[in-house]
Amino acid sequence: MSAPKSAPGVHPKPFWSFRPTSDREAGDAVVSNFVLHWFPAKVYKPSLDWNYSFWLGTVSAALFFLLILSGLPLLVLYVPSVERAYGSVKDIEYVVTFGTWIRAVHRISAHLMVAVVFLHLVRVFLTGAYKNGVGRGQMREWNWVMGVAMLLLTLFLSFTGYLLPWDQLAYWAVTVGTNIASAVPLIGPKMRELLIGGRTIEQATLIRFYALHIVFLPVALGALFVYHMWRIRKDGGLARSDGEVLLPAAQEVPPGRTKTYSLLGVARGTSPTIRTRSLEAPELSVNSVTDLTRRIAIVVLGTIAVVSILSVFIASPLEEAANALVTPNPAKAPWYFLWLQEIVTDTTVRIGSFTINGAFLGGVILPGLLIGLLTVWPWLDRSPASAAGAWFHGSRKKQNAVFLLLVLVVVLFTVVGTFMRGPYWHFFWPWQAWPELPTRI
Amino acid sequence: MEQRTNSPYPKIDRPILAAIGLLLVVSTVLFAWSDRRHDWRYYQFEFKKRVAEKYGAEKAHTVPVGLDQIWAGDLRRADRCVVCHQATLWKGFETAEHPYRTHPPEPLKAHPIQKFGCTACHGGQGFAVDADKAHGPTPFWEEPVLSGSLGEAYSLAENKKALMQMNCNVCHRYDRETKGAEAINRAKNLVLEKGCRACHVINGRGGTIGPDLTFVGDKAAEQYDMTRLSGQKTSFAWHVAHLKDPKALVPETVMPNFSFGTKDSQALAMLVMSWRKAPVPADFRPGTPRTDPQTPEEVIEEQKMKTGPGAWFVKTGCFVCHSVSSLGVKSAAQIGPDLALAVEDTQSRFGRTVDDFFMNPTGTMAVVLSRQIILSPEEKKVAIEKLREAFREHQKQKASQASATSATSANAPKH
Repeated sequence: MSAPKSAPGVHPKPFWSFRPTSDREAGDAVVSNFVLHWFPAKVYKPSLDWNYSFWLGTVSAALFFLLILSGLPLLVLYVPSVERAYGSVKDIEYVVTFGTWIRAVHRISAHLMVAVVFLHLVRVFLTGAYKNGVGRGQMREWNWVMGVAMLLLTLFLSFTGYLLPWDQLAYWAVTVGTNIASAVPLIGPKMRELLIGGRTIEQATLIRFYALHIVFLPVALGALFVYHMWRIRKDGGLARSDGEVLLPAAQEVPPGRTKTYSLLGVARGTSPTIRTRSLEAPELSVNSVTDLTRRIAIVVLGTIAVVSILSVFIASPLEEAANALVTPNPAKAPWYFLWLQEIVTDTTVRIGSFTINGAFLGGVILPGLLIGLLTVWPWLDRSPASAAGAWFHGSRKKQNAVFLLLVLVVVLFTVVGTFMRGPYWHFFWPWQAWPELPTRI
Repeated sequence: MEQRTNSPYPKIDRPILAAIGLLLVVSTVLFAWSDRRHDWRYYQFEFKKRVAEKYGAEKAHTVPVGLDQIWAGDLRRADRCVVCHQATLWKGFETAEHPYRTHPPEPLKAHPIQKFGCTACHGGQGFAVDADKAHGPTPFWEEPVLSGSLGEAYSLAENKKALMQMNCNVCHRYDRETKGAEAINRAKNLVLEKGCRACHVINGRGGTIGPDLTFVGDKAAEQYDMTRLSGQKTSFAWHVAHLKDPKALVPETVMPNFSFGTKDSQALAMLVMSWRKAPVPADFRPGTPRTDPQTPEEVIEEQKMKTGPGAWFVKTGCFVCHSVSSLGVKSAAQIGPDLALAVEDTQSRFGRTVDDFFMNPTGTMAVVLSRQIILSPEEKKVAIEKLREAFREHQKQKASQASATSATSANAPKH
């Protein structure tokens, strides 16, 4: 005896329809498909606007996905030993089929991810999206804290990957980076020793960074990512969708106008009548399939296409093999830490024989303070619930201005550190040539 | 009645998605193309054509296709030069242009390509398979191919290809003279003639006024002060200029100006640059000592043994295991019994005379005398005679010792 075609809970299509003919078919796709199950059946339309979220979170996730995918072949082609790491990267670069491209995809995705995750954080701050609206049980502030943790994980993932090629760039960037970290009072040097497995960057460092880079950090970031997504659902979608409740109250749904996909509504009374704005104001919501999925496809596939094309034209650098005896001039940290290095060098003051080391201010106090403030800001922000999910809400003028100023300073210092600092950390305009670097022969 | 809510969403999404799809196709084509466009594909095609012209299509089929490398395991070098330079070991392309030219066979006799690879001698980047990256100069690869054109860039005196001799001397650094390395030989003579070791340590010997030059070739370019150097900013150019006039580059130096000409200073700069800690196994370096040297006392003692009364036992090799105490022969190992007592020993241990035992030995001596120390019957007779002589000497010494002790004991009661 076969089940009737319309039996509840039976979803005959394993794949969703690109052109659902009814709301039911569109909803079924979400319920029956594993990949789509984390989406709601209907989405508040303004949440999908390009110019609200700029889809930066989705881009970050797409880049993370690309990084895992491009990291898999590198995982087995790369040899994490100080004698062979450099050679294995040269092999990937020169003779592995598509090796240059795979490595470039991995590198460009990593750099972009640092930038995009940061921009995502800026967007969430400026829209007040870490604020709880009017929904019950919202914990958006914790999702924000998780987001800050994910930014730090992204930075650390990129930083651990930076060392792996074992060239001069890698070696000295990590030297500078870990030296900044060792300025933490009391535990700093011990912390550095634990991180790099000794006092100099050697095999112990390489294998620690490798293990962190390929197992611990991606797993941690993946777990946080999943939880981040889940919390968005639990918090009622993007902060902007809280605006929905400010619309005129919904009318009682007359009996008889029932819906069968009861998972998605709240049943009151004896009969499963549904009150949902998606029925009362259909122009404000869209089906996830296919309006949301199409946009996600645009963003994810677009990210992949852009990274792929960039990877053909932007070569990944690989300098001389790491040499502990020769410090390149200038020795720079990875670009996303250069604003810190800039502050460290600017605040290192020498008065006669007395030296105030800037590493403590620029490397510990300042970033510590900023990260601490970012983490607790949702609890310090006293603006009304209506400010959640609105760009530059009038009640948050001051904090937005201060935040933007800080962002501007960080970006400015990063640009100066990356493009305008030459040998001896002297200032050079981008059009000024650096002194010629000597070579062997 | 089930129906589809009209999507209020902009219709533009669909064409955007289509455009992205197109972009993906473009990106796939692009990266596939970027992987295909290497020069070596053309060079291999061209070489095959040349082989076909010269030796026929059948021979051309044996030309390998694709990436290839020479793995010189001892030197830990993977040289992919042969991907383009396919003619290296072929005959008949001696006059073709690069990369279709046969390698001159002479240097390869002593330096087989499977053991040395290419870059150990020629320089360049063995990892790379593109001409510019393999030959250099390229950013971040400080070992360009030491070719004639690089020599021309330095306006080398006479032989423009002499720069390669720097790499010869990485292994041949302990040679007084190396065949084919005229510039290096010239420089080594200058080192002796001008007495560089008066101030500099070279290979562990020399004065300490100047810096140790034993591994100065490894000094990084960043570590030279090039502010007073005009022209090319390279370590090699620095050395050439410095040798010509040390004070011009380092005003406070005490190094005298030897008035070296261009040719001499270039040769010396090559020699100095060749003094590197290159990871070369000891057997690649002629002249590297492979024994732990004896102490002067040991040398004197061995000389004594070789010229003393027991010289025969030393020359024949008995002393490797046996001491001959009565003749002053001392074995380092002392595995066997003292041969001074052999005449007695064979009697007490085997119940045989020393003649009988030596002619028909048993045990270890049977093996030694049949495999390692092979003596003719006449030599054996000499051996027996020597053994008897040692015993006689032993008895003599014992007797004189006994009389000496009895003399002292006779003197004792007088106290």
